[in-house]
Amino acid sequence: MADQDLSPIGREVEAFLVKLVAEKKIDAPMLPEVASQVLGLSNDPDSDAAQLAKLIQSDQSLAGHVMRIANSAAYTPNASMISLQQAIARLGMTLITDIAIAASLNTKLFKAPKFTKRIAEIWSHAVSTAVWGKEVARLSQRNVEASFLCGLLHSIGRPAILQVINDVTKDLGQAIELEEALYLEEHFHVAFGEVIVQQWGMPIIVQETVQYYHQYQQDNSISEQAMIVNGAAKLASGTLLAQGTELAGLLEDIVEGKVFADLNLYEDDLAKLIQLSGQVKASMEAMRV
Amino acid sequence: MKQFDVIVIGSGPAGQKASVQAAKAGKTVAIVERDQWLGGACVHRGTIPSKTLRENALRVKKMRENAALCKFELAEDIEMSTLIDRLNEVLKAHDSFMVNQIERNDIVRIHGRAKFISANEIEISRVKGGPERYQAKNIVIASGSIPKKPDNVPIDHEHIFDSDSILTLLYLPKSLTVLGGGVIASEYASIFQALGVKVTMIDRYALPLGFMDADLTEKFVHAFEEMGGTWLGETVVKSVEWDGLSEVITTCEDGQVIKSSKLLCAAGRGANVNGLDIESAGLHLNEFGNISVDELLKTAVDNIYAAGDVIGPPSLASASMEQGRRASCNALGVGVGPMSNMIPTGIYGIPELSSVGLTEYQASEKLGKVIIGRANFEEISRGQINGIHDGMLKIICDPKGEEILGVQIVGEGATELIHIGQMAMLSHSNVDIFVESIFNFPTLAEAYRVAALSVIGQRHALSNKY
Repeated sequence: MADQDLSPIGREVEAFLVKLVAEKKIDAPMLPEVASQVLGLSNDPDSDAAQLAKLIQSDQSLAGHVMRIANSAAYTPNASMISLQQAIARLGMTLITDIAIAASLNTKLFKAPKFTKRIAEIWSHAVSTAVWGKEVARLSQRNVEASFLCGLLHSIGRPAILQVINDVTKDLGQAIELEEALYLEEHFHVAFGEVIVQQWGMPIIVQETVQYYHQYQQDNSISEQAMIVNGAAKLASGTLLAQGTELAGLLEDIVEGKVFADLNLYEDDLAKLIQLSGQVKASMEAMRV
Repeated sequence: MKQFDVIVIGSGPAGQKASVQAAKAGKTVAIVERDQWLGGACVHRGTIPSKTLRENALRVKKMRENAALCKFELAEDIEMSTLIDRLNEVLKAHDSFMVNQIERNDIVRIHGRAKFISANEIEISRVKGGPERYQAKNIVIASGSIPKKPDNVPIDHEHIFDSDSILTLLYLPKSLTVLGGGVIASEYASIFQALGVKVTMIDRYALPLGFMDADLTEKFVHAFEEMGGTWLGETVVKSVEWDGLSEVITTCEDGQVIKSSKLLCAAGRGANVNGLDIESAGLHLNEFGNISVDELLKTAVDNIYAAGDVIGPPSLASASMEQGRRASCNALGVGVGPMSNMIPTGIYGIPELSSVGLTEYQASEKLGKVIIGRANFEEISRGQINGIHDGMLKIICDPKGEEILGVQIVGEGATELIHIGQMAMLSHSNVDIFVESIFNFPTLAEAYRVAALSVIGQRHALSNKY
């Protein structure tokens, strides 16, 4: 599909998205189930910090909001918290719980019925990218801790766009073809993601990763983290696509890609990475709350 | 199959000098490096990055000490990239210098990982594309070292780091446990402590840096503790684990439990021969896990030489460079004089330490009662001006109080100051040279004069006695 193939409603939505990006007025959605679970945890005297971290990490949007607030001027003036572990260690469990609750109560809930399936796919892919990101970083001896958040938020623009498309078409009383929505998602997700993580006050490394992960060669200063996420996103796609026993074969094809050479990973390194696929899948499952 | 006169494996200090020397001797040379960049761990993961961090740690420490001049507080959430701010420029300059040197000397640069097929043939695997084989009359192994991984320390590069991955940290942790008491452990422990991280250093020995005299390392420990660090000597680590959330738990055999945000395991380094398959060339690692060489840096196989960390101590970049150069000279029959044994050791901790020649202990073992002259930096004008509290220079002389056997220094500037002593020793001057010569005033070099006067005083006392 190309721009000229868009239907009138597609064009109208596109114009609206352009305006939102230009004015940087983008609101990120949040899953209400997780928000209520955070509330539940906070009222449970037996809950511990590990449960809280697991719960927050299980949700791309909530993790983003918690990190945004943890990185705000009120708590961390220079916006340098790069992981939930760091945030909990530094700010404490109670405060992080409060932040998570505040985030869940003050943010628009995520409801885009027309795109539920697609958003679930995006979320699964983001979690998988985050988990793979840590392993790619570990293997190539680059920063492991930041790779999770960078991976988790690298595609945050995608569900946000679908939410907007859902809302706009609903307001206009018109339907949009899924193909058109996906075209717009593909076309705008980086710009949306960039604005969202910027508005959230995410650390520069996250902002630059969202901006450059798909074309990491463009910016030398951040290329390493963006490169890790690029590779991890490719592995995540394979992980989600593969059925049954075909995963290893599929991943073997994926690691032939240029990004893995740019990461300076040799054949035996890549074999080690592929061996981790079972562990990565298990971690992904564990993060489904 | 491509053929070269010399193939050098590794592009660190030893490999770089070995390849340039071979090229300058008119030979065809290839240098193999597994990383995308030249320089090895020294340039990219160790020496240069840690020294860049150290410079900023020193600045921070000095600003804190001079609170009367400017009120200073380091932002709690400062990023590592800010603290190693000039690193990229330093690395870029270094890389560009090395690339120019390699190109200028017509050295073929191969990005890949080497594996011996035989004593004259290696296979290079690349990140992209199939393996290729190369032959060479001579091969120099300069593949450096990698951190040792004790079984009870599960290094994950996320919470529990080794000396190659510690600088991938993006922010300063609140607390850091450092395992080990060697050069790397002492450097990082004192640097992070100077930056305000709460550091606990644990080692099985009573004092760190056991190859230096105790009176100097005691000053180092004192300075470290003055900054707020904790030294746990004579303590054996039983286990290390990440609690799954926010802390690394270190349990010691005496029952102590230390919790910290991160942990650095600096338990020494071993030869990096992973994947080299040295056995195919007829080589084996020695009992210390290194490649053995003779005085010509030749291995057990006639055409294979080795240099740098891969052959074991002293594992100093300075020595590695010279070994690399000599390995090529020896392999190619280019005459070189005997290699000086007088290699200074520099520890870039806060404060710095440096030594050359014999320690007091070694000298006493060899010659009996030796004469020692000491000068504390706080007694030297420059030391007072600079506010140095834990500085000391020590001259070790023979029992007559004439010949200089060694010099040890702790305190800022130690790694530069040591060269005065080294040159005096190399020129076989006796200790009086420090009194008879005139140094700039006020400088820390004056410490040589004070220490020498102490030696001369003891010498006179001895002669009056008899």
